[in-house]
Amino acid sequence: MNPSRFLRWFFCGLLVVALGLPAAAAEWAYDRYHRPAELTSALQEMVRAYPGVVKLHSLAKSSGGRELVFIEIGPEAGKNQKTLPAVFVAADMEGTTPISAEAALYLAKLVLEKADLRADRTWYILPCGNPDAAALFFEKPLRRDPRNATPYNDDMDDQTDEDGVEDLNGDGLITQMRVKDPEGEWMPVPVEPRLMKKADWSKGEKGIYKLYTEGLDNDGDGSYNEDGPGGVDIGVTFPHLFKFFSPETGPWSGREAETFALLKFFDEHREVGLTFVFGETNFCLAPPRGGRKGEADLNQIKIPEQMAGFLNADPNRTYTMAEIMEMVKPLAPPGMEVTESMIASFLGLGAVVNPLEDDLKFYKELSEKFKEFLKAAKLDAKRLDPAPDKDGSFELWSYYHLGLPSFALDFWTLPEVKEEKKDEEITAEKMEKMTNEEFIALGEEKVDAFLKSVGAPDQFKAKQVFELLKGGKMDTKKMAEMLKQMPKPPSEEGTDPKDKALLAWSNKELEGKGFVDWKPFNHPTLGEVEIGGAVPFTDNTPPPRMIGELLKGQVPWVFEVAKKMPRIKIADAKVKMLGAGVYEVKVWVENSGGLPYPTAMGRRNERILPVIITLNGQGFDILEGKTRCLVPSVQAQGTQTATWIVHAERPIRIEIKAETQTAWRDSRTVDLGGAK
Amino acid sequence: MKKLIGFGLLLTTLGFSLPADKAQITVPLSFDHYYTLDQVYDALKALNSAFPEFTTLEVAGKSEEGRPLYVMTINNPKTGASLDKPGVYVDGNIHGNELQGGDISLYLLDYLLGNYGKNPEITRLVDRTCFYVVPVVNVDGRYHFFADANTSDSNRGLRIATDDDHDGLVDEDFPDDLDGDGNICLMRVKDPFGRLKTDPEDARLMIPVKPGETGEWTMLGEEGIDNDGDGRLNEDGEGYVDTNRNWGFDWAPPYVQSGSGEYPFSGTGVRGLARWIAAKTNICIGWSFHNMGGMVLRGPSRKGLGEYPQQDIAVYDYLGKQAERIIPGYRYLLSWKDLYTTYGDSVEWLSSSLGVYAYCAEVFQMQTESFRGTAEKPEGGSPAEEGMMAMLSGGITDRERIKFSDNLAQGELYKPWKAFKHPTYGDIEIGGWVKMSSRLSASFMIKDLVHRNAMNVVFSAKHVPEVGLEVTEVKPVGKNLYRVRTRLVNSKAIPTMSYLAQKTSLYPKDMLKVTGTGAKVVAGGLLIDPYRDQVTYKKYRPEVQFLVVPGFGKVEHQFLVEGTGEIMVKYESQHAGKLAKTAVLK
Repeated sequence: MNPSRFLRWFFCGLLVVALGLPAAAAEWAYDRYHRPAELTSALQEMVRAYPGVVKLHSLAKSSGGRELVFIEIGPEAGKNQKTLPAVFVAADMEGTTPISAEAALYLAKLVLEKADLRADRTWYILPCGNPDAAALFFEKPLRRDPRNATPYNDDMDDQTDEDGVEDLNGDGLITQMRVKDPEGEWMPVPVEPRLMKKADWSKGEKGIYKLYTEGLDNDGDGSYNEDGPGGVDIGVTFPHLFKFFSPETGPWSGREAETFALLKFFDEHREVGLTFVFGETNFCLAPPRGGRKGEADLNQIKIPEQMAGFLNADPNRTYTMAEIMEMVKPLAPPGMEVTESMIASFLGLGAVVNPLEDDLKFYKELSEKFKEFLKAAKLDAKRLDPAPDKDGSFELWSYYHLGLPSFALDFWTLPEVKEEKKDEEITAEKMEKMTNEEFIALGEEKVDAFLKSVGAPDQFKAKQVFELLKGGKMDTKKMAEMLKQMPKPPSEEGTDPKDKALLAWSNKELEGKGFVDWKPFNHPTLGEVEIGGAVPFTDNTPPPRMIGELLKGQVPWVFEVAKKMPRIKIADAKVKMLGAGVYEVKVWVENSGGLPYPTAMGRRNERILPVIITLNGQGFDILEGKTRCLVPSVQAQGTQTATWIVHAERPIRIEIKAETQTAWRDSRTVDLGGAK
Repeated sequence: MKKLIGFGLLLTTLGFSLPADKAQITVPLSFDHYYTLDQVYDALKALNSAFPEFTTLEVAGKSEEGRPLYVMTINNPKTGASLDKPGVYVDGNIHGNELQGGDISLYLLDYLLGNYGKNPEITRLVDRTCFYVVPVVNVDGRYHFFADANTSDSNRGLRIATDDDHDGLVDEDFPDDLDGDGNICLMRVKDPFGRLKTDPEDARLMIPVKPGETGEWTMLGEEGIDNDGDGRLNEDGEGYVDTNRNWGFDWAPPYVQSGSGEYPFSGTGVRGLARWIAAKTNICIGWSFHNMGGMVLRGPSRKGLGEYPQQDIAVYDYLGKQAERIIPGYRYLLSWKDLYTTYGDSVEWLSSSLGVYAYCAEVFQMQTESFRGTAEKPEGGSPAEEGMMAMLSGGITDRERIKFSDNLAQGELYKPWKAFKHPTYGDIEIGGWVKMSSRLSASFMIKDLVHRNAMNVVFSAKHVPEVGLEVTEVKPVGKNLYRVRTRLVNSKAIPTMSYLAQKTSLYPKDMLKVTGTGAKVVAGGLLIDPYRDQVTYKKYRPEVQFLVVPGFGKVEHQFLVEGTGEIMVKYESQHAGKLAKTAVLK
């Protein structure tokens, strides 16, 4: 990224603040990135521009004193009790992907501009979940760090946050320092000495450099920049697979105000039926990662010895959940319902850690469609893979704990470097089998290229080789032999493909400004060092000129997924007279959406309520069936039934209601007796 | 005139709210009954006003229903600030129905304060430590346990309305006290196809029928009606969020750990308390009192967490085995292995998130309410409890218990069956064990229970680290160069930092700093072997050493100091306070 361009954004921002103008008062332009305070002003502007449709929420204050702000858009905006389902979009949870915050604003604008997108649901849009970290992008020197401003004693010494980075060379960027050191593990990549790789002893390589981030050993403990300011990475502080004792997560999930506010919000807002995360992962391209160890297999449960005794079970064999339920039921006190989750919890079976089979179906189907969508938007060029989902992330929590269809979008990664195809026409092996004439027949052009590729001196041209061959001083066999003994061209092996992609990107699109060439520097404690390396954010933040196109082509996918939210309807209701005022009432409820109600995970964790069907009215008794009939799940495009036998003295009209929190609701009236 | 009437009314209202007939709570406290929540509050206030200098009474948080969660600190300000002394943490009644912890806490406070200046052991303990005591964690639970009709098991959790039966309604089907006696007992109906018959030994009890026999009774469950008409009885009562599954360490969602709540620390009181505890960085040992079974449990609470470091287990064993002697019949056990797996419990939070040596004590054994001569064999009949509860109740039968009730509590613990007309079931009978039984010892036994458990806390409190610092040597070894050796000795069982906390780098280790105006530390490090002069020098900042003083152990350092004059050796520990010694380079 161009440092002078960063400076320009920085001053633009300052100017806006100085003049006290709301940043978004003018038409919002996607030609630069916006600092957290500007995002907030933009949301405030939306509230002014669309009164009654938008509500602004300030949920919490970060350690750095920044508000965690999001907006609510929809017909029920501002109401505490919601009847319509909601979509929650959380952006920039790690605070290190500026484009995701822009995407959130872009989405909000689309929702506001097109009334039909918000006619029947609420949109919650959080443009930046980690404002402390996000603010760093606009500060000098530029550094990337997902941690908020909560103080943390990383090195567990007698001081806190005392040894951060320094911009030693004054270029406004925090890059790296490399120092020649006999204990060094790093070496320059032979073909591209600007890039560093770990030396591989098995290939006869030896490390010569030590690598550090740019800075001083402020606390004199021999470590560099090991206790900088901050904090906690909000993006990994959610309760699913929360990592304990990791310096970036804090002591427990919800300890930070930012996270706690969201945990609380989702508890109080059960209407959220779909979530999107805008950041560095992409569940639209590939489903949440599977293959984690440690999941309980409900078909092979071992019963611990001390419990096996009570259950009269064999601790040495395995049981299915259904078998255990049968063993436990007779022992339960009367009136107590034995559920799978009760047993799972009692036996300590643990959490689900891999996406459930049934849910992978919709993830896979939507991923195919998303790829077509990208193709149509001409954004399907090969690029580096999005980041894998992280333990403790919002997107995993949403799927595993909230039981919701959880999607994530990243908007950009570096283009993949196309492997340069070597001219494979001439190799030692091939040459061996050629006659002199055949070799000459390849022509000067090809042979010249070949000579160059094997590192022959410039003056050594095809012409001379041909002459040698013709003169009988040389033949193809000898040449092949020589070729085999020549030193191998410098190896690219061990180069991080991301480093390669970054350098190529910097050269091609950023006039080389995405990478700082190594330059000597006299370091007060390390002595002669070189400072250089990748400019922070080059690998995940496209230049501002690209923002508009990237968002235009990708953000609308959210609406395609939102259209597929499960929608519960009463497909039909029939009344059958059984005689003497006794009727059978049968109701068909269908899910007309493209996603199941709920997800398989939502069924497993029992967090999403069943469809609740009730008969409403007066003058009837239910003889068979429940007053609140619970239908646990309805597949996408599927139908379930509920049946009652009721008794009504006189002809009456009753209303059948089918209610859900996240998949709308429906009602229908039927007549008992009377007209029919 | 109207105004006057209004004034009069106000006075009357005030008059009613004053506890006219409530017995005044005075120090020393008495332990012949269980304290209601209001009495706990009053007792704390009484202790606070009797010992204003030594006690601090604070509100750590408010419960779901707005009740204050009181916490009391005992510290003698004359011997130092509270955070500069090793801390001892005690809580009770985290489950609303498990009252004893509240009374044990009050007893401990009363005992420590009342014996200060009288008993030299207690005086010394109070002078060198700081006690943090939370008698009632689940304040709503204790309140409702007394105020409402309950079984001995109900009202455990937090008052967070939860839809237990997933029907879209919350807490809509509580048990109902049909006969209005303040207890939720059991309901039974005459039924020739029933699986139970009247016990021939005692007509109030029932035993299972043998194959081929005609039955007599069918159990209908706990006293109540189907309030929500879903065909199930009493299935959506208070909560259920378990006060002791809602803590931040190793929390798991409800489908993994039932009763864990929607997210860690979703309970407001629990959250406030956790914040308060976390600020007490000096807590070395913690006790959480529950009932029942007679167990002193240590973590880990789940096998998957991995066993604690061996050095920690040695400390747990030392104190745990002593507990078995102080409270006869109690067993020192490993929580996940010997009882069951839990996620998000408070004791694991104390040990893993705060580095405390923490125990969960399950007080009261049903066997203490047996009715048996020393030479007599246990009586036959149906065991009092089945399943896991049988292990906790020690296999005592109902026949013995009911005789205990008859002869030692004059029948108060058991309610004989009485006919009742149930709206759905018709003619039924209600009866069985009352609320204040089963998990709660008869009131005449309270004092012995609270005393023994409090003395167990006192024993462990005596073993919080007590560290001494000595400069053992100042020896010239060159021009202006001195070899200075220091020794830190811990005379108690608990190390200055748990090994679990060291393993997870939970907080900074103890620090030893050498300073002097005319002196510079050239080298410094751990003296591994003073006889053979083996030292591991620290490369950077040798004047600051990070260390832990093990239990019943020592740690020695060696410094090479250049210069002259006086030097100061300072020791600072989160758990063991601060010390300083001076020495002269000569």
